[in-house]
Amino acid sequence: MNLVRPRPIWRAQCHWKSQELWRFKGLRGIHKQRERVEDRRWPGWEVVVGIEVHAQIKSRKKLFSGEYDSGVTTAFVGDTKKAPNTAVSCFDAALPGTLPSLNPKCVELAVRTALALNAHVQRRSAFDRKHYFYPDLPSGYQITQRYAPLARGGYLKLSRGDVTVRITQLQLEQDTAKSTFHAGRRVSLIDLNRAGSGLMEIVSEPDMRSPEEAGDYVRTLQTLLRAVGSSDGSMELGSLRCDINVSVNRHGQAPGTRCEIKNLNSIKFMMTAITSEVFHHIELLESGRTVPQETRGFDEDKAETFKLRSKEDSPDYRYMPDPNLPPLLLSQEYIERVRSSMPELPSETRVRLLSMGLSERDADVLMTVDAGREVGFDGEIGKGACLSHRMTHDLLGQLAARKETFSDNPVSVKHMGELIDMVQSGKVTGTSGKTLLRHMISHRSLDSPSKLAKELGLIALSRDDSSLVKEWCLEAIEELPQQAEAVRKGNLPVLNKLVGKVMKLGKGRANAETVRTLLLALLRQER
Amino acid sequence: MRPRPITRCQRLFRSSSTTSSSALRTPPIGSDVEALNAGVNALTSVSSERSTGGYGQLHGLSIAIKDNICTSSLPTTCSSAILQQYQSPFDATVVRLLRDAGAHIVGKTNCDEFGMGSLNLNSVHGPVINPFQTAPNVPAAQMEHRSAGGSSGGSAASVAAGICDAALGTDTGGSVRLPASYCGVVGLKPSYGIISRWGVISFADSLDCVGILGKSVGIVKRVFDTVATYDPRDPTAATPDLRERACQFNSPFLSVTTSTHQPRSLEGLRIGVPIEYFPSELDPSIVDVLRTVLRRLGEAGAALTSVTVPATQYTLSAYYVIASAEASSNLARFDSVRYGLRTAPPPGANTSKSSDVFAHSRCAGLGKEVQKRILLGTYALTADAFDNYFLQAQRIRGHVRRDFDRVFRHPCALLERPFPPEDGVDVLLHPSAIRTAPPLDRRAQESHSGGKAALGLSEYLQDIMTVPASLAGLPALSIPAGTGADRWPVGVSVVGQWGCDNLVMHVGKAIEELC
Repeated sequence: MNLVRPRPIWRAQCHWKSQELWRFKGLRGIHKQRERVEDRRWPGWEVVVGIEVHAQIKSRKKLFSGEYDSGVTTAFVGDTKKAPNTAVSCFDAALPGTLPSLNPKCVELAVRTALALNAHVQRRSAFDRKHYFYPDLPSGYQITQRYAPLARGGYLKLSRGDVTVRITQLQLEQDTAKSTFHAGRRVSLIDLNRAGSGLMEIVSEPDMRSPEEAGDYVRTLQTLLRAVGSSDGSMELGSLRCDINVSVNRHGQAPGTRCEIKNLNSIKFMMTAITSEVFHHIELLESGRTVPQETRGFDEDKAETFKLRSKEDSPDYRYMPDPNLPPLLLSQEYIERVRSSMPELPSETRVRLLSMGLSERDADVLMTVDAGREVGFDGEIGKGACLSHRMTHDLLGQLAARKETFSDNPVSVKHMGELIDMVQSGKVTGTSGKTLLRHMISHRSLDSPSKLAKELGLIALSRDDSSLVKEWCLEAIEELPQQAEAVRKGNLPVLNKLVGKVMKLGKGRANAETVRTLLLALLRQER
Repeated sequence: MRPRPITRCQRLFRSSSTTSSSALRTPPIGSDVEALNAGVNALTSVSSERSTGGYGQLHGLSIAIKDNICTSSLPTTCSSAILQQYQSPFDATVVRLLRDAGAHIVGKTNCDEFGMGSLNLNSVHGPVINPFQTAPNVPAAQMEHRSAGGSSGGSAASVAAGICDAALGTDTGGSVRLPASYCGVVGLKPSYGIISRWGVISFADSLDCVGILGKSVGIVKRVFDTVATYDPRDPTAATPDLRERACQFNSPFLSVTTSTHQPRSLEGLRIGVPIEYFPSELDPSIVDVLRTVLRRLGEAGAALTSVTVPATQYTLSAYYVIASAEASSNLARFDSVRYGLRTAPPPGANTSKSSDVFAHSRCAGLGKEVQKRILLGTYALTADAFDNYFLQAQRIRGHVRRDFDRVFRHPCALLERPFPPEDGVDVLLHPSAIRTAPPLDRRAQESHSGGKAALGLSEYLQDIMTVPASLAGLPALSIPAGTGADRWPVGVSVVGQWGCDNLVMHVGKAIEELC
């Protein structure tokens, strides 16, 4: 793919002027656009929220680790199950002599996202280094796109109200390693698996006016990221992280001082944190004090924000253009090619469903069914994505054939989802799936698809059960190498962990005692 | 293959508190190498492999590798305490190419720490002693101790001492050409991006080039032809189509100099002498050598003209800002968390910030000069200084490049629409250094440069001739062309347009034959 046309070597410098990422002139514009909404929680006050989202790119390889790594490890991004420090290349560990090479898949997924956000993909973007010393940052700097981001300007329509949040920019950057403090041993443990993974930083304009709108923004963004396959977007698993900027002002007055809240790991906490921060600001302002510009954390137990550091303590990151990476030049043809190969966006699906005569509620139901039918790694539109569309189409087709509307649909969202899962996991074949669907509609059966499948004898059994159980056992051993090692060394209670894993893999279909025996046999055999 | 540390020669300026290895039982080649190395201190480790099995175009050639280029079979120390025990898990692309071509890797060569220095004094392995002597068979006691130059001093010295046929060095601001000039060998800094930097430990990424040192232009060219290939692992590598473009731009001018007709005629070759390259610090006897070279080239048919590269006066300061800024960034990885010498903070030390903890290892593991440059570079990148230092230096760099483009009649392959002047020159010719190899005795040196404060600056001044080509990424070749008033070697440099490495070597060969 002629994606990157490296024009070595040195970079033009004139564009290199410091710029403020938060543009408050934009903010004033929005003040005019948005109607004054009185919030019962804080009458007379206006809340302004902007969000920086860091979404981990769902690519097989990391952002710069390269295909040419001489090491044996291949870094699979987003695999949180991997044992610590097993998905690390020489570049990720910042061994001297290594150089970055840009992963074109990450660029493609970021371009997809930018297009989905209606942003302008920049024909020329560049990479900068952001410096600070921390054990989870192996090279001492993070490669990011501070001054010339991949995309600028865009917007996201929220699902509720008629709210549009403008997107300032989308940039590519590296993730850090994960550090965990081991309280007992009083040491920090570093896991480099995540180091160097690709992130998309998506910066919004301060266009949200309540914690609820902020929650809606992140949820809508999650759906979009999953639909285009660029990220799993899971806050719980850490593949999507938010920094929230909050400021408060009296209606009709200039925006207040903003504070940044970091390290939030669920939408619920995020909304609570914003509320807490708003009350904190109002309390300060009402008592005649000013709001200091701070970076704040969130205490989940107390449901309160707290000060992490003030603006004066904020470090000087000493940004500089990365001398190893030539500017990223994207041709219009390339951008169009990405656009034409994109999976359908949630908003487009919605329009399509509505045009088929579905009510808004029905469209929502169907889209919920579709959600989670993921695009594979590197944006590959695999079986899953097609399948869900096909099933939805089938359902609509069947209904149309029976001259029934969607509201007459006897198949519940839950059953539809289960059916798709069954087909995807290979429990029933695609053909059986259709048969099952037809059966469910024609018989208006309220039974679960799995029960029906059993009744109809549609359960797929390509292999005999014992080989399947053995496969799960081997998988469990591979996934829990430390536990397996412990059992090998005679620590038998740990075996339960492995048994549990097998039960999970087999969705509870295996016999625990059989699994126990088989696991022990396998572990002994290995020695 | 287990690396064996070299018996250290006398440490001139560093107290030898650390290990000093004993005599070693060695295979014939190894012992020869050690004998030759004794008193020169050019090598930091010697390979125990006798020769490689390969029968490529470099079969039979023995090559030493600068110690900042990664080798999987020998330590890669960068002459720094922080990496003294470091063993890279991979071979640099250049090393792999050499091995594949059948070259025998002799060992690793001493250098200034991370390539920072011009005299090869900043090394945990001690300074390199220039093997050149004005008279043959001088007894060791009466040998004059002079610097081999830096930072690739060990590479130049190992070639000059006959330890190997060729050596790889790295050149960031003159680190190949300066030692080549001081030791009386040929040193090539190719166009930026022509030789892969994968596996070369970065000093300043936008300036670093792998360079080649050899006894003759012919050997340098043989090695160059082997290692100058596109490597997708180096994101700054010139792409194959760019190489092609440069080659096609330059071919009409190459035919002039490629004729094998003897005596070689240089009819049609235009040589420019940049007037800015004769600063007051330049030793007059070096100008005499250059004059002789110019006269002979003129007699052979080359047209000589004087040219101007006005931005030259600012290059040294721009270079030190850019190189130090990049170094401060590149050396941030040496935090001793994953590898490298680790010094635990003393009891009671402040460990609340990770940078406080790292500081102990970095202070113990990095030498004074390296620390100095990291501090300078860090300052240049701070928000307050960035515009006035870093950006300003980048602007000067742009001027330097444009100045050169106005001088050469060859179009720059890197530009979309180059407009080379029709009356431009093919190559530039100027002295490689402002003097011959400086004495290693620190006291003598101080008296020479007038005090201790001036010593630091005079070391930086050594680079004044070599830095412009580095900033512009141009190919430059230093060829021994005679001796100065003190009868020590003097090198002259041939500089060409980007991608004109072959042309530069052809002119170099002509000078080699004529002088």
